[in-house]
Amino acid sequence: MMKVIAGFFAGMLFFAVLGWQYGGAFMFNEYESPFGVEETAARIQANMQSLSENGWKLSALRDPGKAVNAAGSNVLPVLLVEACSTDYSGPLLKDDETRLLSILMPCTITVYKKQDGKTYIATMNAGLMGKLFGSKVDEIMTKVAADQKVFITFDASKPAPPLIKKRPGGGGAAGGSDDPGC
Amino acid sequence: MNNTGKNLLRLVMLAAVLLPFTAGVVNAQTTTSEVVEKAPDEVEKSANIGSTADHSKFKELDVDFKSGPEVTEACLACHTEAAKQVHNTKHWTWEFINPETKQRLGKKNVINNFCTATSSNQEFCSACHVGYGWKDDKFDFSQESAVDCLVCHDTTGKYKKLPGLSGHPNYKTMEWPPKSGKFREPTDLTKIAKNIGKTSRETCGACHFYGGGGNAVKHGDLDSSLNNPQRYLDIHMESDGLNFSCGKCHESNSHEVSGSRYAPTATDQEGVLIRGNNGDRNPTTCRACHGNAPHKSVEQAERLNHHANKVACQTCHIPEYARGPLATKMTWDWSTAGKLTEDGKRLLVRGSHGRVIYDSKKGDFTYDRYVIPEYVWFNGNVKYTLFGDKVDGQNKVKINEFLGGPDDPESRIWPVKKFTGKQPYDVGNQTLAVFHTAGKSEASFWTNYDWEKSMEAGMASVGVEYSGEMDFVETEMSWPITHMVAPKEDALTCAQCHRENGRLQNISGVYMPGRDNTPVVDKIGWILALLTLIGVVAHGGIRIVMHKRRQ
Amino acid sequence: MTRIYVFKRFERIWHWTQALLIMTLMLTGFETHGSYSFFGFESAVEIHTIAAWSLVALWVFAIFWHITTGEWKQYIPTTEKVQAMMSFYLTGIFTNAPHPFHQTTLRKHNPLQRIAYLFVLVVISPIIWTSGWFYLFYDSWQDWGFGWLNLEYVALFHVIAAFMMLIFLIAHIYLATAGHTATSHIKAMVSGWEEVEDEE
Repeated sequence: MMKVIAGFFAGMLFFAVLGWQYGGAFMFNEYESPFGVEETAARIQANMQSLSENGWKLSALRDPGKAVNAAGSNVLPVLLVEACSTDYSGPLLKDDETRLLSILMPCTITVYKKQDGKTYIATMNAGLMGKLFGSKVDEIMTKVAADQKVFITFDASKPAPPLIKKRPGGGGAAGGSDDPGC
Repeated sequence: MNNTGKNLLRLVMLAAVLLPFTAGVVNAQTTTSEVVEKAPDEVEKSANIGSTADHSKFKELDVDFKSGPEVTEACLACHTEAAKQVHNTKHWTWEFINPETKQRLGKKNVINNFCTATSSNQEFCSACHVGYGWKDDKFDFSQESAVDCLVCHDTTGKYKKLPGLSGHPNYKTMEWPPKSGKFREPTDLTKIAKNIGKTSRETCGACHFYGGGGNAVKHGDLDSSLNNPQRYLDIHMESDGLNFSCGKCHESNSHEVSGSRYAPTATDQEGVLIRGNNGDRNPTTCRACHGNAPHKSVEQAERLNHHANKVACQTCHIPEYARGPLATKMTWDWSTAGKLTEDGKRLLVRGSHGRVIYDSKKGDFTYDRYVIPEYVWFNGNVKYTLFGDKVDGQNKVKINEFLGGPDDPESRIWPVKKFTGKQPYDVGNQTLAVFHTAGKSEASFWTNYDWEKSMEAGMASVGVEYSGEMDFVETEMSWPITHMVAPKEDALTCAQCHRENGRLQNISGVYMPGRDNTPVVDKIGWILALLTLIGVVAHGGIRIVMHKRRQ
Repeated sequence: MTRIYVFKRFERIWHWTQALLIMTLMLTGFETHGSYSFFGFESAVEIHTIAAWSLVALWVFAIFWHITTGEWKQYIPTTEKVQAMMSFYLTGIFTNAPHPFHQTTLRKHNPLQRIAYLFVLVVISPIIWTSGWFYLFYDSWQDWGFGWLNLEYVALFHVIAAFMMLIFLIAHIYLATAGHTATSHIKAMVSGWEEVEDEE
C-alpha cells in the first residue's frame, strides 16, 4: 500500500517537474514567418485592422531592442505588436473573478529574428489559457484564439503594408493619448 | 539545464531592471565633469582646432570663390604638393592594380551588382570623385586644380556634390532632389574654405556611407548611423566613448589613406604597430592596436587568442552587421526594372520598413537589419569578374571571389556580406554589360527605360560594339565585414559556432568540437553502450526473478 | 561469514573521487562532442578541463601509492579461474552457486576484474590520456613537432576511448551488485570491509 502511495506522489512530482520544465511550451506558440521582421509585423497589424468588426484596434508597436541598444548592447530585432478588442476585454474586466486577466492585455503578438536568420512569430495560447478559467473566459478566449489565427495568416499576393509605429501607452496607464485604445 | 537557464533568466531580468539606473548614474557623472572642465570659447577653439593654422584668418581665402577649382588653386598656393599626392591615390584615379593577380580594379574598371559600372555614367558617379569635371573619358587626370580639397576637408557640413554635376557642388540655386520642389542655395565656397579642417566621419561618410545609391545600401557595416553612434553600434566610434574618426584606424600619409577592400589584410600577425615602424604594413588592422594576444582578463583568454590563428577578429566581434536603425540592401534585381505606372510614370514601391523595394529605374530590392554574416576562408586575395571575362548566363557570376582555404596559413575565417542580384549581360559578347544609366541623353536607361539603347551607349563607352542581344544573369558579390565592432559582451559565444547548424556550419577544413563528429563511431559507440545497458538490465532481471523463485 | 579488510582508506578515497571525476568527464565530454546540451558548451569545456587536471593529480598520487605499497601486483592478470568466473556470471549467479573466487586482502580482485582493470589501465587510459593531452594543447602541436597531427583524428581516438570507458562504467556499476549480497561490494568500497563466504 505504501508503495502505491509513494508511487502516486512520485508520479505527481514527476509531472510537476515536467510542467515546470516544459509548461512554457504549452502556454505559447511559435511559428516561422516567410517575411522579414518589419513586414511580418506590418502584415499582422493589417490583419488586426481587418478584424475591426470584432472590436480590434491597434494599441502599440514596441521595440524592446531599442532599450537594449540604449543600454549599450545588441539583440536581434524583435517587435511587439499590440492590439486590443473591447468586445473581449470589456466582459473580462467587468467581473471581479476575471479582472486579474487584465495581465494578458493588450493582446500581444511578437515578431523576432533568431540566430538562423529567420523570422518567427510568438502568440499566447489563448485557447488553453481560457480553459484554465471557467466557461465564460473559455468562450471569450476561444474567440480570441480564432482571431489570433487570422492575425498570423498572410496573403503573400498582397503588397507589404507600411508598419504603423504608434506611440505606446495609448489609453493605458500612461494615458494622455487621444486614442482610447483598450 | 533548464533550471540553470531559468536562474540565468532571472539574473538577466534583474540586470535589465537595474541597467537603466546604472546608465543614468554614468550619464550624470559625465555631464557634471563636462561642465566643470568647460573652458572659454576662444581658448577652446585654438586648443581644439588640431592645427597651428586657423584658415579663417587667411587673407588668401578672403576671396569670393566662384568655383571649386578656384578654391583648390588657393589651397595649392601654400599646400604645394597636395594635388600631386592626391593624384597618386585611388580616391583620384579610381584605379587599383592588384599586386597579386595583376587585375585592373578600382571604380573605373570594376562592374559590381549595384549600379554596375561607372563608364558612360561619370557625370553622376563623379559626385563621389575627389575631383571636378569628370564627365566622360576625356577627363584630364593631370590637372592639379581639378582636385577637390573641400569634399574631404569641409567641416561645415554644407558642401555637397550632387549627382549629375560631374563632381561639382551646385554654384547656382538648384532644385534637389529633382522635382521635389525643394531648392538648394548656391554653395558658399568662401565660408567652407575658411572652415576647412581634418577629415571626419561626415566627410568620409558622405560617399562611403552612401555607396550603391543610398544610405546603408552597399557595405552593410557603413552607414550614416556611424556619424553619431551609440555604444552598441560601434565600440570605437561611440560618440560618448572613444569617439574615433575614420582616420584613427585608416591612418593616412601624404593623402594616401590606408585600408582597402581591393586588397585587404586578412591576416596580420605582426602585433602592435609601433610608431615609425610602418614599412609596408597596413596600419588599419585590429592587431595593429590590439596586438597578438588581446584577450587577457577573460575566461579561456589563451584559447581565444589561439582562435585567432584560424578566425579573424571580426568574425566574433561583429556578430551582425547593419545593426543601426537602417536596413542594408541585400538583393537587387535589375531584370524587373522599367515597369511604369498606368500613366507611364516612374513607379516607386516602399516596403514595410519604409525603404524603396521597387523603382522603375533600378528594379526590385530587398533589405535587412541585424544581418547574420556569411563566413568564408579569406587570405586577402580577391579575384574579380571583369569586363570581357566570359559570362555564359548559365552559372551565377561571382562578381568577386574571396580566395583562401583552411590549409593556407594566411587565411582566416572572415564574415562577409553576400550581395546577390540579377544584372544585364551581353549575350553575344559573353560579358557582363556596361550600360548607360544616368544622364539626360536619349540612351540613358533612367530617362527612357530602353535597354537596347542603354546597352549600345554603355558598351560603346568601353569600346565594344553591343551584340544586339542582352539578358540578365544572376550575380553574387562579397563584402568584407569589418566596421561596426560590437561591445565585447556582444561577441559570439562558443556555442554559436561549436554546435550543429551554428554560424560556421559551412566552413570546411577544420574540426570543431560540438559541430563535427564521426557519425559511424558515434553510432557504434552508442549502440554498444546501449547493448551493454540492456545486457546488465536483463542479467539483473533474471537474478531478481531467480532469487524470488528460490524464496 | 567473515569480514575482511580489503580496501584501505586511500584506495577508497581514490576510487570515489575518481568515480566522480570520470562521470563528470563523461557528462561534459559528450556535451563538448555535441551529443546533447546540458551545461552549455563553454561551461562543459571548462568543467571538462578542470576535471581532467584533477584526475591527473589524483593519478599521480594513486601511482605513487600503488608503487610504494606494492598494491600494483593486484592488477597482474591471471588465467586461473577465468573460465570459472565466466560460467559463474552466466549461470551460477542465478542459481546462487558459490562464488568461484575467494577474495582475500592480498587478492582482492577476481580474475575477470583483473583483466578488465588491466584493460582500462593499458588500453583505454593511454588512448584517453594521450589524445586528451593533445586535444588540450592543440595549439602547441607546431612547437612540439607534431604539426602533422589532425584534430579530427585526435578527437576521434578520444571519443572512441570515451565510449569504451562508458561501456566499462555501465558494466562496472552493475557488477558492483554481484557480490555476496547485492550491496556487499558497494559497502566494501565505502567502509573497506567486505563480507565473504567462509571457505569450505
